[in-house]
Amino acid sequence: MNHRRLSSLFLGCTALAFLSAGRVAAQEPAELASLQGVPDLSQLSIEELAQLPVRSASKREEPLSAAPTALYVITGEEIARSPANSVTEVLRLAPNLQVQQVNARDYAISARGFNGYETSNKLLVLLDGRSLYSTLHSGVFWELRQPLLEDIEQIEVISGSGGTLYGPNAVNGVINITTHDARDTLGGLVRGTLGSNEHTLGARYGFAIGANSALRIHGNAFDRDGLRDGLGPDIDDGYSGYQLGFRLDSGFGGNVLTLQGNLFENDSDVLAGDGDRGGNFTLRWRREIDARSSLHVQAYYDHFRRRFQLVADALETMDLEAQYNRSQGAHEIVAGFGVRTTRDQFVNNANAFALDPTSRRLWILNGFVQDRFALTPELSLTLGLKLERSSFSGVELLPNLRVAWHPDPGHLLWAAVSRAVRTPSRIDRNLVAAPFLVAATEFRSEKLIAFEAGYRGQPSGTTSVSVSVFFNLYDDIRTAELIAIPLPVRLSNSLTGHSYGVEAWGNWQALPWWRLSAGVSLLGKSFRLEPGTTDTTGAAALGDDPSYQALLRSSMNLGDSVTLDAGLRAVDGLETPAIPAYVEADARLGWRVSDHLELFVAASNLLHRTHAESNDTNRAQLAERSVHAGTRLRF
Amino acid sequence: MWLALAGLARAQPSEEAVKAAFLPRFARYVVWPAAAVPEPVAPFHLCVIGRDPFGRMLDQAAAGEVIDGRRVAVRRAASAGQSGGCHLAFVQGGSPQETARLLLALRERPVLTVTDARAGPQRGMIHFTIVGGRVRFFIDEAAASDRGLAISSRLLALAAGVRQRR
Repeated sequence: MNHRRLSSLFLGCTALAFLSAGRVAAQEPAELASLQGVPDLSQLSIEELAQLPVRSASKREEPLSAAPTALYVITGEEIARSPANSVTEVLRLAPNLQVQQVNARDYAISARGFNGYETSNKLLVLLDGRSLYSTLHSGVFWELRQPLLEDIEQIEVISGSGGTLYGPNAVNGVINITTHDARDTLGGLVRGTLGSNEHTLGARYGFAIGANSALRIHGNAFDRDGLRDGLGPDIDDGYSGYQLGFRLDSGFGGNVLTLQGNLFENDSDVLAGDGDRGGNFTLRWRREIDARSSLHVQAYYDHFRRRFQLVADALETMDLEAQYNRSQGAHEIVAGFGVRTTRDQFVNNANAFALDPTSRRLWILNGFVQDRFALTPELSLTLGLKLERSSFSGVELLPNLRVAWHPDPGHLLWAAVSRAVRTPSRIDRNLVAAPFLVAATEFRSEKLIAFEAGYRGQPSGTTSVSVSVFFNLYDDIRTAELIAIPLPVRLSNSLTGHSYGVEAWGNWQALPWWRLSAGVSLLGKSFRLEPGTTDTTGAAALGDDPSYQALLRSSMNLGDSVTLDAGLRAVDGLETPAIPAYVEADARLGWRVSDHLELFVAASNLLHRTHAESNDTNRAQLAERSVHAGTRLRF
Repeated sequence: MWLALAGLARAQPSEEAVKAAFLPRFARYVVWPAAAVPEPVAPFHLCVIGRDPFGRMLDQAAAGEVIDGRRVAVRRAASAGQSGGCHLAFVQGGSPQETARLLLALRERPVLTVTDARAGPQRGMIHFTIVGGRVRFFIDEAAASDRGLAISSRLLALAAGVRQRR
């Protein structure tokens, strides 16, 4: 039909838009500001408008952008333009996270230190409200989580304790992954990639049901080759799997009801029957009670079973939580509670380490209340208190105080003091290995008092900046105490110390079609054993962290239909055992052939054939250069 | 250092101000069926039907917009009955049901409808949303295409989501 004529018309429009954008760049910034000090929006290109942070009227729609925390948001669009094939690779976009690829299957991810496959246990990860850390070891089995990347609306990454509103284990950071409302993903999408290391296939279809509801079904499959041998032994780390799921969203009156569920199965290459399987089901209800108050209730069930060689574990979680928000004059009050129970099982036929008992039910309860009130129009104070209790701890009081100063809406200065704890995991309390290790029935929570401050703002219409500094005081960090000569050893809480650092990032819309972003994080740690104690692990619980990490990214729109994205990252080396610092690059070229078809090629770890990211002597393989080509079809 | 930054202060715009800036801009990226294109030199009509959350901000935004030599004129209408000649319409009733009624009355005409409502019969061809503290929008290309409107790929590329035309 007249498609060709239309597209030439659009090209004309684009040229016009570029010309008008050129005018903007030529003007002095001062001339852009109108009388009220608000930028003259009519001078911005439509792309710049879409990038402009706004003051939001409704509280629910203002997730955390105004929150006085070190917050980085990865948008769905950035995910679509990144070379990542998995959610763990996507997380490399956040400058306040440290991501180590341990091998083809495993990742170690942390914020503000303690990184390592076994030691990153102070992070809360939420996927559509489901908590993903395991009560077995307080870490996250990232390999179990393979959501369809195209379904992700955004990922909020908070470095720091995250305050009152998040559930248990939000000690050093929070990763909050949310997927699109099904009503926003009508129609079909198919994505396939073929690569040197991995092939992927993903698809979804969204149907409208009646006037107010929609159902999305999605599926996702991947087949990943093993990596080359690193510090760890020669392991067969190839990995393949699939996930199937659905999400139903229904709006009626001021209510939104969401039902979602997933089933997954992943296979390891090692022994027949090795691999992971599981599923989950979530029911969520949001109600706008009136213009000033809302209620949010959620329940979910999640279970998984992992089997690798001679070791198997399983975890079943049931969770119920509720949150009530209310604005009252200068006060914004949030209160809520959460009840979670888990039942686990751990079977080890490979060596002497076992959990005693092998299966156990745990309870974690929390309740919270927070008031954010405006002292003056520019200055607000947030006071929050969370109570947390688990089967392994008494009631922990977790207060949190935050001050936010908006000298004007484009700038936010904040400071916070908060207390957070990591309650004992099953491994902390119940791990035994006769005759070397006896159960630590007295193991206590690891504790943190965090001092933070930061600035976030838009120094000009085309730039945004965030800088935060922190000083974390830790106590009762895990050690392994020699309780008799020559044996046994018992897990204990004898490490104490502090960490400090800076995280900074910024964006610059250099031209309407070219965006640059950069981020850096610096970290220092100093810990000591309490007098008269020993640690036979040599402070292994502290992990091994690079002292710096720097990221640089460029995103270009080349004309109407071509996008070019490239990134560079520099990461400091690790010490025990030593692996060198590295610099790596990635790139992606995308071409939107038509409204229905997109083609792309992408490459990761471009600069070296292999490099080491993890120094885990039991698991680490070398990260490899990889290239893939793919397509997205929409209909 | 922050003091120096504060000196460069520029206020953060409101959600409504950015939406108001988007609205006249949409006209640039839509092709109407030949019968609905205004006469040469005649303006595009941008209508606010029902409640007007924008006020003067929309008039200012529209005043700066010239598309192929045509201005964008803003009109306000309390009901769909007064919406003849509209090319674009931001539609917002006092209730979801009223929004749906206003949209229904526009259904037979080649009008690009825009709403805040995100679902059901009260959702327009384009609806606004807030993602990551920024104003973004979804496009129901299928609904636009049914009315004979063609939406440029540049606008589609910028959308937070698109319902494809069949």
